[in-house]
Amino acid sequence: MSRTYISRHPLDDLLPLEPGIRAVDHLDIPRVVAIVSVMAMDGEEASVAAGLAASGDASARFSGPGEWLAVSQPQTAESLHRNLSLLLAETAYIVDQSDGRVVFRLSGPNVRRILAKGIATDLHPAIFETGTSVNVLCGHISVNLARTGENEFELIVMRSFAVALFDDLKVMGREFDLSAGFSVRG
Amino acid sequence: MASLIHCPHCGVRPKEEFSIRGDASLVRPDPEASDEAWNDYVHIRSNPRGRYREHWQHVAGCRRWLVVERDTFTHEVFSVTDAAAATVAREAGR
Repeated sequence: MSRTYISRHPLDDLLPLEPGIRAVDHLDIPRVVAIVSVMAMDGEEASVAAGLAASGDASARFSGPGEWLAVSQPQTAESLHRNLSLLLAETAYIVDQSDGRVVFRLSGPNVRRILAKGIATDLHPAIFETGTSVNVLCGHISVNLARTGENEFELIVMRSFAVALFDDLKVMGREFDLSAGFSVRG
Repeated sequence: MASLIHCPHCGVRPKEEFSIRGDASLVRPDPEASDEAWNDYVHIRSNPRGRYREHWQHVAGCRRWLVVERDTFTHEVFSVTDAAAATVAREAGR
């Protein structure tokens, strides 16, 4: 028997289909992002880090020594997986995580004050520079936090925690009228 | 309880991100060792007041096992090292 599986975003029931009024502080949720985990083989950590840095439009998020999440918006999961497998052949294990993770993109002038309600690391612009990424606890949920712009952060969370984290972020941002919606870019 | 741990991979983090396993100074006995030796290894723990070496796992961060040397009385943290590096150092010191 053949089955057709339909890809659903875990926040489909919680967000309007049409983008609403956008506040200065906004939580943007892209529907489709290619994410693969990259784990360096023993002794290959430095060469894998260099390979990821040279891999073009995939950004590498640190998640542990010798471990990264490679994230790419323009590429599909299949092409990201294929490109990195060719680039890092024999030096790293690469596993597709796209269906298992959800990306939250938080931006706005008050983004650090919003995040400070759940995250205990120092997010001062001079300390947490653009491009920095860490695994960190947000409330009770472990997330991968990355600074992607001047006042822009990305949180990557396990799919099953997405609804809980979304609720937490809404509460954390209520003081600043945080708006939320699916990304227009898809 | 020591509340801030300086993880060698992630930087300064609150203790809530960690899970604590216990004494890091125990050495696993030989498989042929006596029942008493195994009983001591598995069940018997001291509860020291003062300096203590423990295994902590950074569950919400890098997920690595760390060896945290801390004072159970003053809450001072003396050192935090990756458990793999600590084992290498201990075996080299033998």
